Parts: sequence; structure tokens; C-alpha cells
Amino acid sequence: MPASSSGSGTSSMGVTPNDNLREELASSSSQPGFASSSRLDAVSRKLFAPFHHRKRDSHRILTDLAPVIMTPKMMAHAQTVSARPRAIGTSSTRPALDFATLGRTPLRLGLGARRTTSRELEVVETASELLATALPDASPDDKLGMPMPSLLRGFEATVPSADSARVRRRATRNVDAPRLGLKRLSLGTRGLMADDAESEDDVVVVAREQRGRRGRKKRGRESLSANKVFGREELERQTREIARDKENLHVRRSLLHSDIAEVTAKIEALDGIRIKLEEDLLKLQEDELELDDELLMVQERLELETSQSRSGSMHATLMSSSRRRKGPVFLPSEHDELPPGVAFMTLECGSTPITSLDFSEPYGTLVTASQEDAQPRVWDLLSGEEIGRLRGHVGTVKALQVEAHLCVTGATDGAVRLWDLRRVDGDAETSEWDLSDVLEEAEEEANGDTGTGTGDSVVVERPHAGPNGTRSRSRTTTEDAPGPCIRVLEGHSKAVTALYFENDTLVTGASDKTLRQWDLATGQCVMTMDLLWAISHPPATVPGGHLPGFSVAGTFAVPMPPYADGSWELYQDFIGAVQSWEYALVSGSGDGAVRMWDMRTGQAHRTLLGHTGPVTCLQFDEIHVVSGSLDKSVRIWDLRTGGVFETIKYEHGVTALQFDSRKVICAGGENGVKIYNRTSMQHSTLSTNGHTRPVEKLRYMDRYLLSGGRDATVKIWAL
Amino acid sequence: MKIAEVPYAADAKVSLSYDELQVLRTQYEKEVAQTHVTTQTKFNYAWGLVKSPVREHQVEGVQLLADIYRSEPTRRRECLYYLALGHYKMGNYDEAKSFNSRLLEREPANLQAQSLDILIDQAVKREGYIGMAIAGGAAAVGTLLLAGLVRRAARK
Repeated sequence: MPASSSGSGTSSMGVTPNDNLREELASSSSQPGFASSSRLDAVSRKLFAPFHHRKRDSHRILTDLAPVIMTPKMMAHAQTVSARPRAIGTSSTRPALDFATLGRTPLRLGLGARRTTSRELEVVETASELLATALPDASPDDKLGMPMPSLLRGFEATVPSADSARVRRRATRNVDAPRLGLKRLSLGTRGLMADDAESEDDVVVVAREQRGRRGRKKRGRESLSANKVFGREELERQTREIARDKENLHVRRSLLHSDIAEVTAKIEALDGIRIKLEEDLLKLQEDELELDDELLMVQERLELETSQSRSGSMHATLMSSSRRRKGPVFLPSEHDELPPGVAFMTLECGSTPITSLDFSEPYGTLVTASQEDAQPRVWDLLSGEEIGRLRGHVGTVKALQVEAHLCVTGATDGAVRLWDLRRVDGDAETSEWDLSDVLEEAEEEANGDTGTGTGDSVVVERPHAGPNGTRSRSRTTTEDAPGPCIRVLEGHSKAVTALYFENDTLVTGASDKTLRQWDLATGQCVMTMDLLWAISHPPATVPGGHLPGFSVAGTFAVPMPPYADGSWELYQDFIGAVQSWEYALVSGSGDGAVRMWDMRTGQAHRTLLGHTGPVTCLQFDEIHVVSGSLDKSVRIWDLRTGGVFETIKYEHGVTALQFDSRKVICAGGENGVKIYNRTSMQHSTLSTNGHTRPVEKLRYMDRYLLSGGRDATVKIWAL
Repeated sequence: MKIAEVPYAADAKVSLSYDELQVLRTQYEKEVAQTHVTTQTKFNYAWGLVKSPVREHQVEGVQLLADIYRSEPTRRRECLYYLALGHYKMGNYDEAKSFNSRLLEREPANLQAQSLDILIDQAVKREGYIGMAIAGGAAAVGTLLLAGLVRRAARK
């Protein structure tokens, strides 16, 4: 095949002399052959028009139509089918190939069945893919301030031969000094012994003609360079070479710079990824905690339901207090549609700041108490309407708790009242009660569990627990059916500022600096714990602990640190918060101490000191006590060690808080509700459609949060 | 707009010495082992491979160039030319042509690309001539045979 020899060079060998090509190039553009060849092209195109779409077009059409079925492999396969070397017979039977392909065929045959490798297929396959990718408009120089050398310049600068000029120059500078035996020295130091010293001189290539000029006979020591003569031409050449080398160095330097910049960018990107991953990790941790809580709740539920089915009664005892309950609660499905972090309901509660609030369950019943208002309001959270009011106290209600239908309130009159929220009725009816102020003691036994007396036949309600007449009565008073007040617990001589009940145990704390434990079933005061005594007799391990300047005797009153809006009040609640669990009781008091009591002995067995202002709120679980104080901080204590586990600082005094394993939500003297994520340690604030004055109290269950502010409104949030 | 600085096609025909290519390869493999390959090293090796007369080398070189093309958007324009050259050397004129024309779209004034374009056209044409010659030869042989047969048939 004579054709193969000329063609093989270009197509596969790649060694056709460049001049050859140049000539061809020149001739084709000048000679009439160019025109004829283009005519030939046209002819061949015409002839094979129906087959011309063979490669690109058909595949492109196919890929456009069904990109899914045209995998790159398939495309490559199809694309190379036509180009695959075949027997010449095949190609003649299939005239679908154009002349160029036909021309290529014999050379491939001539080379002796060179097979198309898979790599080659891959390369051809990627070609179309690469062509499809966008070509950025920015030239490489635009990216950095410093121009980036082109790849070719980089190649020239870094390729090994770039150093050849330097090596050559160095060689020209070698002088024919008297034999020093340098090679032997170097070998000797490396522990090698060269046996023939003769092989030494071939290392140094010195211009031969200079060797003659060197004064060989001179014995005296002289500079090595003294007798060296290069000649103008050589020196000029070296100058040029050095200039080029410097340029190369410059190129290499900028290459390294751009590499460093690239690595820096990559590190930054990786840092970003790492931060993202760490966040994901925290999120997982949070999810795990949530699952733990959910599991607890499910197990609790299981226990409850099995005990119910065993006993057969559907009205089993209350599940443990809602304050201790963890995990999800039952929410209407619509709750999920609410945007999280937005207050979706507002309840107007008169004109004075909210002093206390609690609710039975999400979308259940809410009781709110306001300053200078002795009658807490009862709300239906489903409709957002006020159902009625709890009338009976004669002072501001400072503390209250709601569990299911039972509500306990403590007021500045020193009384604690128990209410059945099912019996709360509209205002119209209850406003009459004050008039029918008769038959106080007469119906003491009528413990209205029948619920029949809703009519006006036996409307008997205990009026205000007046300071005079009522004190003479027994400590507990049983109310008759229609009134929501079930019991009045009297005993504290001053304002009740904190209370907590679980099952039948109620603990109250009052400004008379005592804590009292009550039995809700009987209404008896079981125990009185004197805080003053505890302060003066601190547990041995703790160095005496009350705030400096705090006087044990007399009334407790400290000015609050101002709220975010600048307003402030005199803080008088000596006992800011209590919580109990079985025999354990924790109190937070005005001396800044968090005390842990044993209700079997009535002794404070441990005092957690750290707060520098009155403790206003606290909550504890199996592991931690979390307390908020007017010293503008929330402290998380470790119950086992008694040390501070974490301190969260705020800008203003903390007045209320609640926490679970994942977060601490608190009222921090600002308009927004503060949320602290315990896993990611991030703070966030709820303020969308929020309060217009600082938040005072709050309480949440699962993803349902209520907050009461100094703007006399209660906001309901979806978390 | 700046025109990419690229060598003439003739440069691609001058192959590196074995040692030089070996140095480039070692450098590249060292960086691969370190899992950070700089573009320049990759290109050096790829360009060395493309310059090589061994077809396997050329293929590998083009693959590396395609890699660079994919990962370095700022180098794409330069790479287009080298890809075109690589394919041209491999004899994949269709690919070479499309890469080169893609570059010419952006840089119509690029002399190197212009000359490569002409070179590719010539190579295609030459193959066309060969093809025609073969086809012609086959046709002639066919005609002769046919004529012989006809004559033989006529003689009978």
C-alpha cells in the first residue's frame, strides 16, 4: 500500500518534519490545487450527503431526544464504530465512509492491526463532553492581581532543560587547577574509596583551548579566576542566558505564588466544610437528645397504660408533673404549619405587667396573673378567649402553677389557693358572688365533685380572704361546688412568692423567709423550713453565704437592675423559685444562693453559691440545676459535683427560665425571648411579633411557648 | 482581550528526550502520591507526553489535558489549543478541528490556532486524496474486471 507511508507520519507517528508541513501549508494556500481540493471536498460532501451525519449529528440528536439512554460509553462506542479499522473489503461494501476515512483505513492496516485502546476511546469520548462545558470569559490574568504565566511559559521555566544553560555556564567556569583530588575527598568523606584517581578529570569539561594558555608551571598560589578568559561573545551569551534564567525564576516564583494562593483557597474551603460538618454533628447530638426525651416519654406512657389496663380504671393518676415531663406533647397537627419563632397569638391581660403564668397543656387552659390584680385570668388557649377569673385573693398573685384542671396560686396576702379550672365560668355569673356573701362555714363538707350546682340555686362562694374574719377559721377551707376555689391554704405570714407542686406535695416559699410543704390531699402543712435558720447555719462545707449588704432581719428589698427599656422595680421576693421532686427540694433565694433541701429532715444539705444577685427562677432535672438571677446570668449547676457547669451571661436581669436537654429559654429583661442552644452553644432571640416591653415570665412545652411581658400581654410562640 | 500564549504546532512535533520526560513523570507521580498535583506539573507532564511520538503517551497526555480542562476553568482556553494539538497528533482530526474552532471562536486573532486549523484541514484533505485514490483504484480494477468479463462473455 503506497499511500500508507506518507499518511502514517501525521496520523500516528507524529514525526513528519515540520518543514514538510509548512511547505504544504504554503502551497495549498497559493496554488490552484487549493481550489480544486475544496471542490473535491464539496463533491465528496455531496456524494455522501445522506451518510454525512454519521457521527456528531446523529448522536447529538439522540442525546437531545433521550439523554438518558445515550451514556458516554454508548456514544463513544457508536462514534468509533465508523473509525474502527476494518478490512478494506468491508469499507468498500459500505460506501458510507467519506474519502478521508477511507484514506485513513489503509494506513491503519499498514501499521499492522494497531488496536484502538480503551483509553483512546475514552479520550475521544471526553472530547464532546469537554466541548459542551462552558468556556469562561475571564482570561487567566483577570483572576489574580498578579498575572499568571501561561502554561507554556511555566513549562519552559520548569522543564529540566531550563537549567541546562546554567550548568553549561558553570562548566565554562571550571578551571584547570592543580589536582586537588576533590572527588576522592568527597568519596572519602562518604566512606567510599575510589581506586582509580584517573577517572576524576572527566567530570570537569573545560574549554580545551584555554587549557593551553594556563600557566602550568606557576607554583605560587593565585586566584582560580585570574587566568580565565571567556571572550566577548561568550560573556554576552552568558548575559542573555542569565537574563532568561532570571525570567524563568520570575515565572516559577509566580507559579509558586499562584499555587500557594490556590492552596490557601482550598484550605479556606475545607475549613468551611469542616465547620459545616461540625454543625451537622451538633445537630445529630441534638437529635439524639430529643430522641432520648421522646423515648423517656414513650416509656412513661407505656408504664401508665399498662398500669391502667391492669387496674382497669381509665382515670389513672396524673402523669408526673408537666414540668418534669420531657419529650413531645400532643399538639394539633396545624401547629406544624406555624412558622417557627413567631408569636402567633396575643392575649391582652389588663394594663399591668404579668407576674405569673402557667398553662395545662398546649392549646389547653392558661392562667395569668398581673400586678395589682388579685384575680388571675383563665384563658382558653384554643380560642384565645378569656373564660373567667379566679376570685378570692386580696393581693397580687405572684406565683401559680397549673396541672391539668388543678391550679394553685400564691398571692401577696400570704394565702395559697387551690382551684378547679373546670368550674371557672363566665364573668356575668361570678360577678354576683360577692353579693351572696353568706353561709361561710355551713357547707364545709360540700366538696363539689358532682358538678351539679352550676345553677344559681346554691351559689356560695367564699369571698375575699379578708384579713380579719377568715383568719379565725381553720387553716384549710373547703369550698362548695360552684366556686372554682377548692381550698385555701393559710400559714405564710407574708407574700407567697414561689410555689411548686407535684402529685400531692406542694411546696411554697414566701417573703416571711420560710418554705412550707403541704399535702394537697388533706390541705395540711406538713413541714416548715426556715431559710433564716439555714442561712445562719450553713452546711459545714460551704463558707458562709449570703450577699454582702444583705440584712437577714427585716423586709427584703433590692432594686432590680434596670430592664432593657430602662425601667426598674424594687425586688421583694425573697424566695424567687422552688422546685421539688419526691423528697428533694431546691430553692433559689434573694441572698443569691441555690439551696438543696431534704424534705424528710427539713434541712438544707447543700448550698450552691455563685450568683451575685437574687435568684429569681430555677429548674432542675436529674443532672443539672439551672438558675437565673438578677445578676444577669443563668448558671447551670452540676448536681453531682455542685459546681457550675456553665454560665450564660445576659445583658439584663433574668426573671424566668425553663430548660430541657437541648436548650435554655429565658426571659432576660429584654423584649425578645432568649433561647440558648445547649448543644451548639448558640444564642437566639424570639422577637418577631413579640413583646413591646421586656418579657417577665415564660413557660413552654415541646414546641409551644408562652411568654408574659411587662406590656401586659401574653404571646404564644411556635418553636 | 488577551490572546492565550501557546506554541506553534511544530513545537508539538519536537519530542523531549527520554530523561526529560522521565523527570516530568517522576515529578507528577510524586505529587500524585502527595495527593496535591499542581496544574503546572500536570501540564508539564501532559505536554511532554503529547510531544512524544509514542501513541500511548499522546493518549495519556490528552487525558491529562482533559483533566486540567475540567478542573481549571481559567486554563480552559489554553487547554483547548493543547487538546486540539493532541488530537491532531493522534489523528483524530474531527476532535482536533472542533477544539480548535472553539478556541478560534473566542480568539480569532490567535495565530497558532489559525495555523493549526490549516494543518488539520490539510491532513483531512490528504486522507481524502488517499481515500479517493483507493476508491479510484478499486473502481478501475472493477472496471477492468468487468470489461474482461464482458469481453469474455462477448467472445463466447
